[in-house]
This record gives sequence, C-alpha cells and structure tokens, in this order.
Amino acid sequence: MNPLLTLTNVSITYPHSSFRAVEKVSFSLMPKTITALIGPNGSGKSTLIKGILGLIPHTGSVRFSSQNKGQRSIPVGYVPQRFSFDTTFPITLSEFLHLICEDTQSVKASLAEVQLLDKEHSLLSTLSGGQLQRVLLARAIVNNPQLLILDEPEAGIDVASEMSFYGLLDHLVKEHDMTILIATHDLDIVSTLATNALCINKTLVCSGPPQKILTESMFKHLYGHELQFYGHHHT
Amino acid sequence: MDFALLTLPFMQRAFIGGGIVSVLLACLGVFVVLRRSSFFGDAIAHSSLTGVAIGLLTGIPTLISATIYSIGVSFFIPWMKDKSRLPVDTLLGILLPVSMAIGVIILTLIPGYRADLMSFLFGSILGISWLNIGFTILLSLAIGIYLFFWGKKLLALSFDSDYAVIQGIQVSKIDLLYHLALAVSIVLGIQVVGIILVNALLIIPSATARLLARSMKDLFILAPIIAFVTTTCGIILSYYLDLPTGPAIGVLSGMVFVSAFIVSHIRSKS
Repeated sequence: MNPLLTLTNVSITYPHSSFRAVEKVSFSLMPKTITALIGPNGSGKSTLIKGILGLIPHTGSVRFSSQNKGQRSIPVGYVPQRFSFDTTFPITLSEFLHLICEDTQSVKASLAEVQLLDKEHSLLSTLSGGQLQRVLLARAIVNNPQLLILDEPEAGIDVASEMSFYGLLDHLVKEHDMTILIATHDLDIVSTLATNALCINKTLVCSGPPQKILTESMFKHLYGHELQFYGHHHT
Repeated sequence: MDFALLTLPFMQRAFIGGGIVSVLLACLGVFVVLRRSSFFGDAIAHSSLTGVAIGLLTGIPTLISATIYSIGVSFFIPWMKDKSRLPVDTLLGILLPVSMAIGVIILTLIPGYRADLMSFLFGSILGISWLNIGFTILLSLAIGIYLFFWGKKLLALSFDSDYAVIQGIQVSKIDLLYHLALAVSIVLGIQVVGIILVNALLIIPSATARLLARSMKDLFILAPIIAFVTTTCGIILSYYLDLPTGPAIGVLSGMVFVSAFIVSHIRSKS
C-alpha cells in the first residue's frame, strides 16, 4: 500500500520574515491511519499543517497520492484550531455546509455523522463551542475527503465534548476509510487513538508508534523540561 | 399625497438610478459586513474625489474617470497589503486622506472651476442624466451576473478564505472581481448620496438585515428590500420636505437601523 501523503525535506519560512519555522521535515502517512503531530507551543505544528494545505509557501516536496486510480489529487478536509470566521453571521448549519457542497444528501449525512442533523436549520450563532467544533468537522468531511487534517481541535471545548469528538474521529477512520493527521497537546489521546506520532520542534525529532516514543527522555528532548510521565492502560 | 412627482422626468431618473444602485450596494454590503471591511468602502469613496477631479481637469466624464480611478485604488490596496507589513486598515487610513487631499488640490487648480463640491460630497441624484442611468444599468447587470454565478463561492471565501483555498476555489480571481464590482458600485452610489454618505447605502441595509434575518436567505432578501425602500422613501421625503436627497436617505437608513435594533432586542428578550 502506498502512502497517502509524503513530505520530503519540507522547510517553511514566513513571508516578510527570515524566521524559519519548519526545517527539513520528512514523513509519510499511510492510508486509514491516525497520526498525531505533537510538540511544544511554537514548534511549528500549525505552520507545517498550513504548508501541507498550501496556505503558506514551502520548499521541499508535499506529495498526495490518490488511492483511486486516475485521480491526480485527493480531497482534503481541515479542522482549524479556532474559528477564523464570523459566527454571528445569520447562516444556518445547512446553508453553511452548502457553501462548499452542492449535494443536500451529503450535507445531511455529514451533519448526521456529527450528531447535529436535528440542528440543520439552527443558526451558527446559537451553537455552543463544542457544537461549533463539530460543525467544523462536518464541514471537513462533507465532501468525503480521503485525508482529514485537524489542528488542535480540542482548544476551547470541555472534556465531555472532547471525548465525543475523538470518538467521531475513530469512527471516521474505521467506517469511512479516512486518514487523519491531528496536531494535539492531548497526550492521553495520542496514546489511545493514534496509530503513529510525529514529534516536531521546528524539525522532526522522533516518529513511531506512541507506545514506543512517548517516553520521559523524548519529552525532555522535545519540551526541554524535566517532566514526569505516567503511562497507564485504558480499559 | 399625490403622485405628480412620478411624472417629473428628473424624479423618474432619481427613482430608477437610486433604486438600482441601492439594491446593488446592499447586496455587496452583505459581503463587506461579513468581511469586516466597512472602512474599505469609505476609502474607495473618498479617494474617488481624485478621479472626479481628474475627469473635470481632462474633460473625461467624471463617472468614467472616478470609476477607473476607484478600480485602481481597489486593486492597489490588496497589493500593498501583500507587499507591506502594515494592516489593511492602516493602509486605508493613509490612502483615504491623501487621495481626498489630492482631489481637492486638483479641483482648486482647474481654471474657472466653480462647480459645487457639495454635490460630489453629498450626491446629486436629482441631477442624474439618462446617459448615467444607462451606464448604471449596464454596470449593474454585469455585477449582477458576477454575483449570480460566483456569489456562493464569494460567500465561501468571505467566510473563510483559507478553507476556500483548500477546497480549490479560485480565490484570487473571485476576490479580484469582487473588488472591481465594489469599486464600480461605490462610484455609482456616489451619484445618489455622494462620497461622504455612500457607505450608508453599502453598510446600513445589510447591517439592518443582519439584525432581523433568521437565515442567510433572509439576509439576501431583506438587505436589498430595506435599501430600496429607504432610498425611494428618502427621495420622496426630500421632494416634499425640500431636503437634500443624500442626507435624507442617510437619516432614513439610520432610523430604520435603530428600529430594527429595537425589534431584535425585544425579540431576543422574549
């Protein structure tokens, strides 16, 4: 099986700045896996994601390989760290998703996936933070992407909403064959949900299955602090 | 009230021109308010005085010279934003007074020029010609076609430009046409309410509609209706009360906005 996404020596320098935020990062994502991107604040996680999505220029190669023969590029869904749009605008959930998807059945299906179908005619402004996060996930999956990229989606939502949100991600991989790349600070989720983890601090520090790489020495190397790491098994 | 005013050719032209331009600006105003770029409309309007002055200096019809100049300004602002590290509102804050000052200086340099600056600043809808009406209809049709075919994509990118890029929407092309449409519409609006008050037609109807709308569909229906009604009523009021037309439309728009605010406030409490 070929990788769905391959990065080779990707470096990113912000426009109007000489600061290099990401330095020669290379990795591959295999289909139908969940890969966690971890690292301290300012390590370049969000910048790398924006580079992959083509929102900021980069050097090196970002190559998407469609699993469908004859398809040159793959549909990508994206859940940003925070709402970058005006949530007070009078627009219903259904209208919001129809902005990027013509098919009403797909809109209804994606709202059903995130358990918001009963609110399809509600205004965005009436939703809670957790519900808005699920709206962003519905938008990301409405066009049935092969690759779903999430940038710290847990920011601003409570623990209960967070658990339900991560349950949805697991469901999308198992039932819809999606591949997920998620930047997160939630190491509990990394150890329970992710197939692989990528540790980044400007450059790729380590990568592999979470059980192997989530160690005290890695944390010290990645975060530069003495951290006490307590591993435990989930039942 | 008698309807004698409808038989007057200058009033007919005012109703047609004002009606078309108000609807056009209200539709574009929805995007302007969504993008939080209300100051952009103001900057284009104020800087168009230079275009008007160039027209008077060179003999080119002012509507054409102001349109061309405003289009240039509307392209210059996003270009400067990309090339400089300054926020767009700072650039607009520079462009607005500088461009208006250049316009006033050019006007004072025109030998024997005695035209009323007030008509440019506060509009002269009652003096609009059939030629300008024709020009208005033609440009409004072109902008209407643009909004009909690309409006949904424009809305998607106005909401979240990053996501529009990811979805493969041709953001730069649609954005370029949006700025072009906005610049042209603002110049057309200057005929109705003038440079100072054109933002009243661009911003107030969509802001008023936002207070009342329960969906995006409502918003796009309400905003042009509010704009058309306030503009038409403003023209009628100015005729019967002998008021300047632009300010009459501006005051009426403000009153409708306050009424909508009260209604929405009461609605949210109940």
